[in-house]
Amino acid sequence: MEGIGLKILGALLTTIMAFAVGMTYGGITRKLTARVQNRVGPTIWQNFIDLVKLQSKKTNIYHGVMGHFAPMWIITAAMTVLMFIPVLHPNSTWYSTWFPNLTFHGDLIFLLYMMVFGSLGMALGAGQTGNPNSAIGVTRGLSQMVGFEIPFVLALVALMVQYKTTSIQDIMAIQDQSGVWMMFSNPFSFLAALFASLGMFRYSPFDIVGAPAELASGPVSEFGGKYLGVMMTGGSIFAFIKLTLYVDLFMGGAYSIPELLIKTFALYMVPVFYGWVSPRYRTEQAIRYFWGWPTALGILGVIIAVW
Amino acid sequence: MENKRNSQTIAEYIKNWSRKHSLFIMAYGTGCGAIEIPATLTSRYDAERLGIRGAATPRQADVLLITGYLATKTLKRVIRVYEQMQDPKYVIAFGSCTINGGMYYDSYNTINVLEKYIPVDVYINGCMPRPEAVIAGFQQLQDKIARGEADNGTRYKENLEWYRANQHRVIKNWRMPDYNW
Amino acid sequence: MNTLALIILIFFSGATLAYLSSLISNKLPGWVALLTTMTGTVLFYMSFQNEQALSFSIIGLNLEWALDNYTILFAHIIFGLGILASLYSVQYMQNKSQQGSFYANFLLSIGSMFGIIISKDFISFFIFWEIMTWSSFLIVVWNGIGFRKNGIWYMAMSAIGAYAMLTAIVLINSEIGTYSLQAFFNAVQENAIDNLMLVSILLLIGFAVKAALMPLHIWAPRAYSNTPASYTSVFSGALSKMGVFGMGLVLIRVFRFSGLQDNFDYALVSQFTSHVLAWLGGITAAIATLYALVQKDAKKLLAYSSIAQLGYIVIGLAIGTKLAVMSALFLAIMHAVFKGALFMAVGAVERQVGTTDMTKISGLIRRMPWTFFVTLVSIIALAGVPPLSGFVGKWMLYEALITNGNFFLVVVVFFSSTAAFLYSYRILFGLFLGQEEDDTAHVKEAPATMVIPMVILALFLIVTGTYPGIVFEPIAHGMEYLGFTDVTWNMTVLSNVWGDSVNLQYVSTTIGVAFMLALIFLTFKGRKGTRGVSTKDISTSGEIPLEHENLTFQLDFFKPFERAAAPLYKRSITKIYEDVANGLEALFDFTRKIYTGNGQTYAIYVVAFLVTLLIVVQNML
Repeated sequence: MEGIGLKILGALLTTIMAFAVGMTYGGITRKLTARVQNRVGPTIWQNFIDLVKLQSKKTNIYHGVMGHFAPMWIITAAMTVLMFIPVLHPNSTWYSTWFPNLTFHGDLIFLLYMMVFGSLGMALGAGQTGNPNSAIGVTRGLSQMVGFEIPFVLALVALMVQYKTTSIQDIMAIQDQSGVWMMFSNPFSFLAALFASLGMFRYSPFDIVGAPAELASGPVSEFGGKYLGVMMTGGSIFAFIKLTLYVDLFMGGAYSIPELLIKTFALYMVPVFYGWVSPRYRTEQAIRYFWGWPTALGILGVIIAVW
Repeated sequence: MENKRNSQTIAEYIKNWSRKHSLFIMAYGTGCGAIEIPATLTSRYDAERLGIRGAATPRQADVLLITGYLATKTLKRVIRVYEQMQDPKYVIAFGSCTINGGMYYDSYNTINVLEKYIPVDVYINGCMPRPEAVIAGFQQLQDKIARGEADNGTRYKENLEWYRANQHRVIKNWRMPDYNW
Repeated sequence: MNTLALIILIFFSGATLAYLSSLISNKLPGWVALLTTMTGTVLFYMSFQNEQALSFSIIGLNLEWALDNYTILFAHIIFGLGILASLYSVQYMQNKSQQGSFYANFLLSIGSMFGIIISKDFISFFIFWEIMTWSSFLIVVWNGIGFRKNGIWYMAMSAIGAYAMLTAIVLINSEIGTYSLQAFFNAVQENAIDNLMLVSILLLIGFAVKAALMPLHIWAPRAYSNTPASYTSVFSGALSKMGVFGMGLVLIRVFRFSGLQDNFDYALVSQFTSHVLAWLGGITAAIATLYALVQKDAKKLLAYSSIAQLGYIVIGLAIGTKLAVMSALFLAIMHAVFKGALFMAVGAVERQVGTTDMTKISGLIRRMPWTFFVTLVSIIALAGVPPLSGFVGKWMLYEALITNGNFFLVVVVFFSSTAAFLYSYRILFGLFLGQEEDDTAHVKEAPATMVIPMVILALFLIVTGTYPGIVFEPIAHGMEYLGFTDVTWNMTVLSNVWGDSVNLQYVSTTIGVAFMLALIFLTFKGRKGTRGVSTKDISTSGEIPLEHENLTFQLDFFKPFERAAAPLYKRSITKIYEDVANGLEALFDFTRKIYTGNGQTYAIYVVAFLVTLLIVVQNML
């Protein structure tokens, strides 16, 4: 019984940490963006304030049962994926004490599909609102997903084929043994995955889903108050998940929380930096972008991995 | 402390504090004042440091900005947007035109007093108000929120009949869904 | 009397009875069909545990029928889907004409499918195959609409398949002197067949037509979308699996376990064929997915999606490792279930609304909640998203491909199943989401006899998502019949040869707990201030659309994607076939011109022929 209690506590702690880190990174990005634009900018806790504000809205509306369910799907997917990802390195002392999750019961392919679960819920909720902007945003998002999944999957296939495992923990253990991070031993795959991450985080030039200028924030245009708040939470957790996945796969995982924060933050800055200097692509340009050099790098990575 | 919280409960105080520091604005570019908004939000005056940022749709927005004179045609749209916003919501009116009609006081197709059609929290006078004045206006709104006195939505709900009567008077082809709160 | 013969007899006499009863009343055949399938199904499930075999001879041909584990696996699909489809059909066909011929063919095709899988000799196999083809063809052209457009393609492609199969059967007979399947497998073991590869490829062509493999797939979208939905679910769910059934026999029993892998040439050719087939499956999946997502008609979309899903199954069979075959057979069953449910759901929409054109329908979720639920569950399974059973099959397929080293094929499969999300969303959004139409305000949920079969299928998907072992058990037995030894499976844990695994129970528990927490939080927090609004109440920049104006986004749904993937849309197989046909026509037209009807021209031909002959003969000497 005590074991289960500790596990639940650990799961709770992981979720809270993922949420806090994701939100803070969002806040830091806002601050940095402001500094780049020669502004003072909000505090780095601004996203938390926004969230509390959204949750304390007095009235909320939904457009039907799927609209009500959509935020739940997102947060469910986020929490489930988080449970199946090794937040810290399995060998670290922190891991077994504070972050015992269900990593041993899932693998990479499962994670890839589980990540889609939230998007599907989001898409259904956005569809139910009846706002044409939402549906257009969803079609754009799905199309873009077909774009960046190709280099991403190529990168993962290279790792899986080369090291004959589909388990994240085994990939981390291999990096531990050889002492070389995957980003150096499989540089092409890493680059392909990095390009794919540009699309995943949806900063410029790939912010075609939200597209505040012409789509009025796209899928979320009819959501406000607590619904938007929960979506924001889910999105923050997902940002953390993607970063942790990349750190686990390509940077050897992290032994302690500060190490995790440094590595994830460094990765997070890639799409952010790329976004600052880029205007927005059109959807077909974004898809073509991913099917171009990133895919070529991914194929190269697979060929090298096989030989 | 008692004084500062203005006899609010702690939960209410925290809520109001977060509302004060996170204002999503729905910039309704009705009149010439719309040109002041970009200046307020961008590098020079940087309203984001006060937690003010643009919202794309009324569902996400907290503050409705009426930036200048309102044609009767536009008024209908403004009312629609206002009614789609969720409580608590606030309205800031820019310039003389929203107070008494300003230089359009005798125009046949603009309204003179905005307060008759939707409740307004803060007026910023000037023709047009400069970004400094706009930010001062926002700060005044923030103070009002922190004191827990900004209850725009409730005012509208309570006096709905009066507002509706006024709205019906100027909008001839009334074809709007009911406001059922 | 033998149960197998009895079941066949029941279906065939039921068909006659259904047709005759239509002469009395148009309502009767549906009930006759339901009764027939029920009797047949009950008989089968009462006796399938026992060893069943029957052999008899007619006009000197020995016919053998028997049940084995592989057969039972497919019999589950046929009877499970058959009985639900015939229950669904009663109300669905209610007001349609010519029910007699429809139900007669319906029963004939179910009976003949069962006949195919129990046949242990090529003669009865081929006869049942042809009955199946003809009965399904007659349903495709059942309402007499679009015969030239839809029927011809199906008939032409089926003819190609049938001729290929017939040639193979004749070749086999000329080599081993018997039509028995067992004798054929034995002869393969002993390397007694000289042109085994030719025979196998001919047989594969025959099966590939029914499994809608590229480039023989073009009949499928036309035929699937032109049949009544109650039959389409059987057509796409069970009938196409007959191709899979045959392919499994050839690819696994003949290619993989023939005992001839030591023979270098043979191994090379069989592996090459398998690889080509796997890639054909992959390309089929990718291209069919691309075509599915540009469809405007829900039924056509599902038809293309069926082709894509069958592509995955063919890949699994062609790869032929234990996990791959398991995933292929699992996907075959799951495809029967979710595609059966989807076609039924779309049929329900068609019956209640009158069209399946997604540009004309929107916002049916409030009108038809059960149909939406079924569609949602089936679509999640189709897309392969956990925790439903589609994920189990997809996972096994990916792991099989990766562990087997087919790394580029896995990317093709990944591409097509990611693109499948697009059409999955298209059909959910197109039919059920978006703003409500005034025209569909009167629409009600489909009658209970239509909803119940769909819901049963959906529940099956949910249960097998966590406990796929229910389905693994018959599959494992079937695989043992095909030649695999010690096939392992677990009730809830999936694992591959590298030792990586997914525990589905943990997955569904986590999802369930997280979802319940979120549900409680979101529903009860600020409950008083939360309300539902109509889909007309949307933010449209202050503009208020008129009552009858519908803003739902339906046309050119994935236009940006189409633009990005434009080169992939350029070539169309149908066009190539038509070009070939036109070319042939032109050639024959030209040949016809030789016969001018003028005696002198013919005289010149004779002279020219003689001169040519002389020159050739002289050169040869």
